[in-house]
Amino acid sequence: MTDLLALVVQQSINGIYLGCLYVMVALGLTLIYGVLNQINFAHADFVTVGAFAAFFTVTRLGTKLLGLPDTAAYLLSMVTALGVGAGLGLAINAAVFAPLRERGDELRPLIATIGVSVLLENFQLWLFGPIPFQFDSPFSRETIRIGRIFFTAQSVLVVAVSAVSIAALYAFMKFTFLGKALRAVAQDRETAGLMGINPNLLIALTIVIASALAGMGGALLGPVLVLTPFAGATVIVKSFAIVIIGGFGNVQGTIIAGLLVGVIEAFTVQYLGSGLIDLVVFVLLLVMLVVRPTGLIAERKEENV
Amino acid sequence: MKRALWSFAIAAGFAAAPLAVQAQDKVIRVGVVMPISGPASYFGVMGKEGIDLALDQLKAGVNGYRLQVQYEDSACSPLQATNTVKRLLDQFKPHIVIGEECSDATLAIAPILEQAKVVQLNAGSVTMKLTESGYKYVFRIFPNAEQQSNPLAAVAYNTLKARTAVILYEKTNAGNDNADGFEKPFVAMGGKVLARIDFGRDVNDFTAIATRIASLGKIDVLPTFGLEGQQVRLSQALAQARIVKGGGGSAVQMGSIWLPYGYDQKAGQSSEGYVRIVQFDPTEKRKVVQDFIAAFRAKYGADKVPTHINAHAFDAILLVAEAVRRGATDSESIRDRFSKMKDVEVTTGKITFDAKGQNSDLSVVHFVETQKDLSWKGMNWR
Amino acid sequence: MSARTVGFVIAVLVVGALPWLLQAPYWRGILVLCAMNVLLAISLNLVLGYTGQLNLGQSAFFAIGAYVSTILVKTYAWNFWAASLAAVAAAGLLGLALAAFAVRLRGHYLAIASLGFAVITYQVLVNWEKVTEGVRGIYGVLPPVGSMVGLFYLVAGIALAVYVLIDNLVRSPVGDTLRAIREDEVSAASLGINGALWKAFAFGLGAAIAGLAGCFYPGFVGTLVPDAFNIIESFTMMAMVIVGGMGTMIGPVIGAIVLTFLPELLRDFGEFRLMVYGLALTLVVLFMPGGIVQAWRTLAGRQWHT
Repeated sequence: MTDLLALVVQQSINGIYLGCLYVMVALGLTLIYGVLNQINFAHADFVTVGAFAAFFTVTRLGTKLLGLPDTAAYLLSMVTALGVGAGLGLAINAAVFAPLRERGDELRPLIATIGVSVLLENFQLWLFGPIPFQFDSPFSRETIRIGRIFFTAQSVLVVAVSAVSIAALYAFMKFTFLGKALRAVAQDRETAGLMGINPNLLIALTIVIASALAGMGGALLGPVLVLTPFAGATVIVKSFAIVIIGGFGNVQGTIIAGLLVGVIEAFTVQYLGSGLIDLVVFVLLLVMLVVRPTGLIAERKEENV
Repeated sequence: MKRALWSFAIAAGFAAAPLAVQAQDKVIRVGVVMPISGPASYFGVMGKEGIDLALDQLKAGVNGYRLQVQYEDSACSPLQATNTVKRLLDQFKPHIVIGEECSDATLAIAPILEQAKVVQLNAGSVTMKLTESGYKYVFRIFPNAEQQSNPLAAVAYNTLKARTAVILYEKTNAGNDNADGFEKPFVAMGGKVLARIDFGRDVNDFTAIATRIASLGKIDVLPTFGLEGQQVRLSQALAQARIVKGGGGSAVQMGSIWLPYGYDQKAGQSSEGYVRIVQFDPTEKRKVVQDFIAAFRAKYGADKVPTHINAHAFDAILLVAEAVRRGATDSESIRDRFSKMKDVEVTTGKITFDAKGQNSDLSVVHFVETQKDLSWKGMNWR
Repeated sequence: MSARTVGFVIAVLVVGALPWLLQAPYWRGILVLCAMNVLLAISLNLVLGYTGQLNLGQSAFFAIGAYVSTILVKTYAWNFWAASLAAVAAAGLLGLALAAFAVRLRGHYLAIASLGFAVITYQVLVNWEKVTEGVRGIYGVLPPVGSMVGLFYLVAGIALAVYVLIDNLVRSPVGDTLRAIREDEVSAASLGINGALWKAFAFGLGAAIAGLAGCFYPGFVGTLVPDAFNIIESFTMMAMVIVGGMGTMIGPVIGAIVLTFLPELLRDFGEFRLMVYGLALTLVVLFMPGGIVQAWRTLAGRQWHT
């Protein structure tokens, strides 16, 4: 391989891996938006909570109490993080989204979840302190090399888990009754109601799924992030950009946009400088809004534009 | 409209409620302005640990004086820091203020304290501007950016025979000043800086940065200025990209006082061969250091090793106590005693303030290299 | 005298008396901050409350006002007032420019687009070091008037003037037009109202007012760094509008006052301060959807017109 080709391949791999991490966060945002037309600003803090849950599962429950080997403890931590995320989803739906939904307002739930985000971050700060936790998964210490190309086993795991989650999500939406009902609610809430589908239940279910994804994302991101109570907050604004670039509520678009932003980020670091990442991503966002306001993949949501 | 005025009045009522200043004679009031909320509370929490410990040891008082401390959260922000300092000046009337940790906030409060003729003792900022600005009430025990970066550049060029460098630094005032502090002397000696790569405090994944560095050709040294959490991830990425010795490469990563003891264990094998200057060294045999560590463990847990942030905050209180021991009774006399201090021994070395209020004695600052077993090896480099 | 005139006279008297009721320099400083926040809340409310545009990027215009005025004064030795005028114009024009394409967007699309604009502005301040000094910051910025009391009278006086101006605007036919667009843009168009034009007008005016507030910020703090205009600041402004009562004139003013003083009064809570703040924000939105103004009206049990 020539130097340039190796470099391009390497940065593309870095970017795709990074993109998968973004997708795990952005997917939940877009799912909630799809059925609820709401933004959960505290979504990224669910990622942080998931990461801490995973950390303590590995260090306390898994290896100490149950005496599991590292790998098993880490896999177990993904399950607890998933559960913790789902619990947070239930809570935020009951506390914020359900009570505010009747009023059909797009602003107040956003502000309320900003409040939740401030609360969660500072609660964790009080609980865990600001000193970064050292969360290494057994996979993050393994480097795989193919020729001059390198990546960690963790990054393979991240890509694999995101792919499996996305596939599972698709299968659920396409083949199960609940999934079909969900899509019906997303398309037309009133008609769905007439069909005997209880939209409240389905909305709750979506939020729980989205939040569980965020929680599990925390278990995957923990060994990558600088794990502090503010870890998730570092990706939330970028996740919004991804959701918009992909087209609000559009799952496919979000996946593509997430990967795209990851790759753009890697090449920005290579050729422009890491300080310019946000600038490039958000200029892209504004350009997208001018050129293709419906997102990468045009969909039926024209009424929002 | 009337309702608005009501709320004005209510707010005013709240605001007017005075906070009683404890009327006690023979008290030295120490205001502590640190980030206690937000991501920068990394500094504030450790600073508070060090200060609390020092206060425990000084409970009996010094020279008949009791040290009274009030903490204020300045969140690393100039606005918050100036507000809290004004609040302290109004309500607590400190004789001395310790803080801030972040350079922006430190610089923002300096003119206010100068005007109020209250001593500012800084223990954690590196910005060159602080002591260059000619403030008469500013003292700093932390080495400034040049004091930290100059020896790094000299050792890189002369001892490690490095000719090429890539400078990595967080995009803050402190990171910038440290990067400049390395680049200028290194280039003047004949070294070449291949790239300066900065990163915001919100960057988590350093793989893309490491890949870029690997594409820059042969690199001898990588001076790095960032906080512990990011540096762990950065070192790991540099090792994966086989740039640094810890990953089988040839480049030497260099760092400064920013990194606490214990960093090597967190970063694991990737930190092997990391060369850095340290000021607070828990392995140092000086009695004041070992006593501090013993007391710290007794208070905060046997498995804890204090960091340089703990130590600098602890030292700040020791210095105030020393000034009082030497007869200081108010802000003016604290300033006077500080300016005459020579070789006052504290955990982070010996303190001698120069005419600008900067600690000029760096005899304790020394180089260490991380070994294969992740322990430190002291180096006799200058 | 009408109730409105009485209110105005009382407001003037209260503003005049406040620095003497709160004589400590710390509280006088908070008063200045409060007056700036009132301006910001009014500016955002015009966009958010009266035309229903979800603008999450108001901090960008605040930043532009601060940086343009400071750079003109410090680097080009302009007079503060001329520099401020230029800064307000710059903020207003940028607001119009953003509006030119933002008026096509609605709801959350506009929210994220304006958020993106704020991120870009912040990044430009950080990266355009030649002009802005980047993260190194600009130090030793002087306020336009020497004393804190003078600065408070100045900013509060401007806030009062802007309040009266906007109050008259929203009660004029222009206000009816804006409200018509907020309620239903399509029906408004059938009445011959050019929605895009009026929305851009409100957006630009709001941006200019935020820029005006920005002119006073650097002199007040003495230090200007990009971090002061982090996107979080936009959320704080939004919280002021919502907590006070969006779409009313007095609500955002109350919100700005409460949310300026609340964090200061909570200082004694130490590390719990921001937890309390976050919880309070959520609870207010949940249980007082119309903000303090509406809660007050419900309690008072009578009609209120703004």
